[in-house]
Amino acid sequence: MKAIDPRILTPTMVRISEAADMTAQERFFRLRLSRPLGHRPGQFVMVSVPGIGEAPISICCGPGDHDRLELLVRSAGSLTMVLRRLEAGDQVGIRGPFGTGFDLADFEGRDVLIVAGGLGLAPLRSLIEPLILDRQRFGRITIISGCRTPADELFGREMRAWSRVPGTRVIRLVNDTAHLPWDGEVGLVTAPIAGLDMDPAATLAVLCGPPVMYKFVIMELAGRGLAHDRIFIDLERRMRCGIGKCGHCQINHLTCCQDGPVFRLSTVQSLPEALA
Amino acid sequence: MGSYLVERSVFIDWISRLARHEKVYFPLPVSKSSFRFSRVRSRSRLALEDFDDPRQAKPFRASACIPPPVRLLAPDNELLFTFRRDSAGDCHPTPVLDHNRRILAGVRPCDLKAIALMDRFQGDGIADPYYLARRGNTLLIGHDCLQPCDEYCFCEAAGSLSWRQGADIFLTPQPQARLLVEPLTDQGAALLADAGFPACSDVQACRARAAARRPTPFARQFKAPLARVMHAVAESWQSPVWERHAGRCFSCGTCNLVCPTCSCFDVRDDFNVEDPDSGRRTRHRDACMLEDFAEVAGGYNFRKSPAARQRHRVMRKFVYLPQRFGGTGFCVGCGRCGRQCTVAIDIFTIATDLLAGAGEAA
Repeated sequence: MKAIDPRILTPTMVRISEAADMTAQERFFRLRLSRPLGHRPGQFVMVSVPGIGEAPISICCGPGDHDRLELLVRSAGSLTMVLRRLEAGDQVGIRGPFGTGFDLADFEGRDVLIVAGGLGLAPLRSLIEPLILDRQRFGRITIISGCRTPADELFGREMRAWSRVPGTRVIRLVNDTAHLPWDGEVGLVTAPIAGLDMDPAATLAVLCGPPVMYKFVIMELAGRGLAHDRIFIDLERRMRCGIGKCGHCQINHLTCCQDGPVFRLSTVQSLPEALA
Repeated sequence: MGSYLVERSVFIDWISRLARHEKVYFPLPVSKSSFRFSRVRSRSRLALEDFDDPRQAKPFRASACIPPPVRLLAPDNELLFTFRRDSAGDCHPTPVLDHNRRILAGVRPCDLKAIALMDRFQGDGIADPYYLARRGNTLLIGHDCLQPCDEYCFCEAAGSLSWRQGADIFLTPQPQARLLVEPLTDQGAALLADAGFPACSDVQACRARAAARRPTPFARQFKAPLARVMHAVAESWQSPVWERHAGRCFSCGTCNLVCPTCSCFDVRDDFNVEDPDSGRRTRHRDACMLEDFAEVAGGYNFRKSPAARQRHRVMRKFVYLPQRFGGTGFCVGCGRCGRQCTVAIDIFTIATDLLAGAGEAA
């Protein structure tokens, strides 16, 4: 008989060790765990403030034998508005990690192209960190990250640091400089793809961003000859449980929380509800 | 395991006696025409179908129990955990699981099948501990049907007629106001052991007698075997049938609320009004027919139109869940969704139209 976890839908309370606004909408949290979470890149946790509510939040730090858990939370609903007011020393509840995530072994020896739109950079940071940390295991790394204006940029300092790592290229874009100082490029994340020095047979692409982004990025990648089983997409859905039961994240016959949120494009391309 | 042949009134008396020291749930009237699985009390009046006059609609049928019995295993407003904040401000959540033993008596085959399907769904992958805690401590007494509920029922077409898997005891009406009482599990046999019922000498004959009493065909039928209906639904993504049926849908979610294999939920947190240092999280039935069900933060809606949502509901029953659980249809043909729909949208008609469309295309 299968072990049943009676606590699976009850959060474990953990303490915030660091909290800081990253932009006007996003707040960064570092949590201190009593034991390592043992997560894979691309997994998520359900984050609670008991009495207020719960929401799925992507893990934005790499895996490892450490007691840190990092989250980037955008203020969008009642829960995230409360999270925004929490400080170091406060508690939040977490459940998980849930979902399949990325398998780092898939990326070994490959060139990796990462395309992030807006908040999509947060979950992908959980992949970028281990790629950078173990740099020689992987081929060339290209990161394309776009956001609306310079004021919306996430992890800007880290992206500059990643760009200084040998064999790593970071292309930072904004849609609009909004009259702010900006040292990156202007345009959409699709723009640089056509001009990349890329070997489609040796490259894996990873995408995460708003629903509207996928179609156009996939078109660009297809134009460069990248096969659909070489493209990973990290999808977002509403979720209430993380264990495939609440029904909100169902994508045709799959559940985003259990079968995803990371999918190979070849798995979901025939599912009409997967992409916008 | 020995079976029994017992007078209906004697069996009903036994249920009433059982209810003195067990939590027994039985379909009890809540209005002239509707029943609900409710806790049997000393004054409850229990009634079962009459073999000789099964059209007498006084006793319940599956159709009359508008919330299906599986809801007792996954109730609305179910408590998931309580929490308390201590003097240091730290929060302590504690899960609350219901391990109470209960007996559901009078569960019709369509609802037995629904419970069997939900057992698989809730136990799949990371299991739902709340459902399994309730289910593991619940005994089911099934009751066979000799007449279709009404014009909405299509249980035979959906493969639910005569379903008894999952029942601990199964009842079949017999002539002269008697019941065939068959224990199907050790727990069922133990429950019946000291009931003092007379043994049945020929179970097969009793079963056959009841089966012969049924009309053929039993209720509405698809114009093809169920497997072909399921295939037709699977191939119908672009069909105009969705729009035709969903055109009048209010997106009220009633079909989801009454479906015995709909289990989607939302969760809600509350502080205790009198003691804001404590509170609870509960879960509540949600419905994929509601407009914002598949909306994500940022406002994008993956099923914006009523037709897309109808398609999802029907596909989930005939395609998506069967794909995951080895081909068994998750629509049990109870007819509740069509019967309760405020604008007469009927899943049977949708499936029939899709099947007809598939025939045209071929």
